[in-house]
Amino acid sequence: MTTDLLPALDAAGLPGPPWLFRFLLVFTFVLHLVFMNLTLGGTLMAFVNHLRSAGRDDGPAAALARRLMAVNTYAISLAITTGIAPLLFVQVLYQRFFYSGTILLGWIWFGLLVLLMIGYYAAYLHKSFRGPWLGVSSVSFLTIAMIQVAVHLVHVQPDTWPVFDAGAWAVLADPTYWPRVLHFVLASVAFAALVAGWWAVRRARAGDQVELNTAIAGTAWRWALWATALQIIDGFILLIVLPRRVLLDVMNGGLVTLGPLTLAILLGVGLLVMLARTSNPVERPGLVSGTLAALTLTVAVMSIARDQVRELYLAPSTSGFAPSVVPQWGTFGLFAVLLVAGLVTVFVMVRRVLTSPAAGDEAA
Amino acid sequence: MDYPIWNPAIGGGMLMAWVAITHVIVSHFAIGGGLVIVVTEMLSIRRSDPALRDLAKRSSLVLILVSTVFGAISGVGIWVVAGLISPGAISALIHSYVWGWAIEWVFFIVEIVAALIYYTTWGKISKGAHLMVGWLYFIAAYLSLVIINGIITFMLTPGGWLESHAFWDGFFNPTYWPSLVLRTGVAALMAVAFMLFVALRAAPDRRSDMVRYLGWWWLGGALVSYAGYRWWEASLPETVTAFFRGDSPLLAALADTRSFALWSLAAGLAIGVVVLVIAPKLTRGVTAVVLMAAAFAFFGGYERLREGTRKPFLIHSHLYSNGLLVSQIEAINSTGLAAHSGWVAAGDDAPEAVGERVFRTECASCHTMDGYQSIRRALPTVADMELVVADDPPGSGEVHYRAECGACHGDVAYAEMVEMLPGLDEIRDDPDFVRDLNHGMVSMTLSELRSMGETVVAFDRSTQFDLRQLDRPYMPPFVGTDDELEALAAYLASLDRPADATGGGAR
Repeated sequence: MTTDLLPALDAAGLPGPPWLFRFLLVFTFVLHLVFMNLTLGGTLMAFVNHLRSAGRDDGPAAALARRLMAVNTYAISLAITTGIAPLLFVQVLYQRFFYSGTILLGWIWFGLLVLLMIGYYAAYLHKSFRGPWLGVSSVSFLTIAMIQVAVHLVHVQPDTWPVFDAGAWAVLADPTYWPRVLHFVLASVAFAALVAGWWAVRRARAGDQVELNTAIAGTAWRWALWATALQIIDGFILLIVLPRRVLLDVMNGGLVTLGPLTLAILLGVGLLVMLARTSNPVERPGLVSGTLAALTLTVAVMSIARDQVRELYLAPSTSGFAPSVVPQWGTFGLFAVLLVAGLVTVFVMVRRVLTSPAAGDEAA
Repeated sequence: MDYPIWNPAIGGGMLMAWVAITHVIVSHFAIGGGLVIVVTEMLSIRRSDPALRDLAKRSSLVLILVSTVFGAISGVGIWVVAGLISPGAISALIHSYVWGWAIEWVFFIVEIVAALIYYTTWGKISKGAHLMVGWLYFIAAYLSLVIINGIITFMLTPGGWLESHAFWDGFFNPTYWPSLVLRTGVAALMAVAFMLFVALRAAPDRRSDMVRYLGWWWLGGALVSYAGYRWWEASLPETVTAFFRGDSPLLAALADTRSFALWSLAAGLAIGVVVLVIAPKLTRGVTAVVLMAAAFAFFGGYERLREGTRKPFLIHSHLYSNGLLVSQIEAINSTGLAAHSGWVAAGDDAPEAVGERVFRTECASCHTMDGYQSIRRALPTVADMELVVADDPPGSGEVHYRAECGACHGDVAYAEMVEMLPGLDEIRDDPDFVRDLNHGMVSMTLSELRSMGETVVAFDRSTQFDLRQLDRPYMPPFVGTDDELEALAAYLASLDRPADATGGGAR
């Protein structure tokens, strides 16, 4: 049945070797995760802290919420922009699985676009009008995460497509669905909390609103600590509830699969230890920066592990179906050169802006 | 054609049209707005004019709110919708032009970062640095158009790609440059369409100056658009222009769309010159709305024309809009659609059930059941035949005959047809006889559509097809075995049966 329902490989062939697309997919996905984590985790944290502030604008909870949403002015746009590339490469690499998966979800997949707009504009409305908009934004982004997990699980399990064809909501009953959702949500909260904490520590040590920034850093640190602790528990649950065949393939995959997984687990535990070493992060700026760097590395390593698990899920359907490769090295080379040039342009632009402060008539 | 099928009630084509039209409007504003805003800021510095600065600053907020998110999401939306309604087609396009899109993404990153910095650094950084950011925004935005224009125009006029399948042969195709000129003009029009609302909020003593200033941009944008359009039309092969030009265009609706688009541009140009340039004091909110509507009508009309003239292809002469490759026609006719797609093979074997799956696979990317391009309305029905034969009031029968039956029976006179049809009493006494008759007509039409495919496979595939040689050039051929053809005919015929007698139906 599975083989029968699988569409054919695209006749045009891959315009580059599969390893190149896998690298680009994972690389751009990590880039996307940085901003997605800020968007999702930041909005959820801002919402809770906004509620905790109970309408008072002068406390650390309100200040933390404001800062997170200020970051989101940039993060939401950049999350969308950086999300375009992995969406492009996943279509090239997993064409027949990805399109089939999204079609089986139909309006749910389309709804992601609507929720993205609602989430973004609600975040803007919150800044001007307060009211319920932050809640609307949080629910929108959370639902988007749920949709993305649903698409992922449907597209990697062609065996169960007839079930999803009968009712896409069946994906909610997949044993890995909720642990996966939680895995993304907790990671995003930990990341946003650490970024907020890192910034508050910098400000406090620079002598700027020391009391407020120390309180914000402490709150953010606790958020990161609890999110990471829960993440480790959830991560093990997710590993255990993976389909038996996939789990065994991970365990039997040698260094290739066990390497990233082991590293990710060690990094996770290491993060927990680092977070537990202090309750006042302002006193340990080096530890804060190190923890943020370690979390970013963990996100990257977990993305590699996630990509490998996807391959293992799909292995029964992909073995014996090697796509033809018709490389377009010239245009790839142009892309690579322009990517470097684009990043250099962004760097030069940001540096020029940071070194050109002005005020009054001298300012733009 | 081997993917699961998603048929939204609104129609996949209509959903795509809504997403794509809103995207192109916003994305062209993002480009034109970038140019007009940064030039406006530059002039404000040179002339020490705070009104111009205010116009640029306020417009940059609109740019941020509209383009950085709505533009990006609706752009992704085109992929999302295309993946849902024509997965094979978008897959083929992405496999050919993934690096083009990847390059566009690079420009898009620069564009978005620059836009965010530009908006948030007003009054905070030096004028020179701010202008640099503004220019980088515009250059990146325009370069993204330079790239995507190659992919869009390739779909209508693939040029040398049909023979070589080489990236650049398709990219620099016959309509690349005219389209780039046209879209450059449109970008300026869109910028003014949005910025006019901002200009109207200027201080009363400077409002006219701001409006007239934008009027010159409008004039320039309209003239460049018109020149680009004419060049674009002149660059199209005759097989494409035959759809909407000449004494008897193949698709009269597209000829109307062309007229509508050009008259909208003419009206927008005239109103713009009179109200914005000559008498800017007359400009009110309603003027801005009218000009915006004219710009949207012209651009929307052009996009509709471009999409419509590509019918029935996604990549002209290579890939049909339902995902059928020209190269697949013979194989599917030989082995059958079910052998090609598990989604057609799986399920009930009753003819009408198979027919429904064939319909969803081959036809539903364009035809809805009762909405846009309704298949039910396109099919002959008992009610149609009653109206034609009854001719009550006199003359209505012929009108109905021309409207409902003319597409296939244009060469048969009304009186001649009535003579061949059963009488009114016979129709009412035995409607199933009429249904059988209609079933036969549907079978015959499908057979003709399959023959059309056999004609197409004999075409020279290294060049753009001359579709005028085909009876129904705006439709893909039917592909499949005799049994699948009969199953589809049975399903289509069943749509005119009372609900309790129908085995099929739209899902």
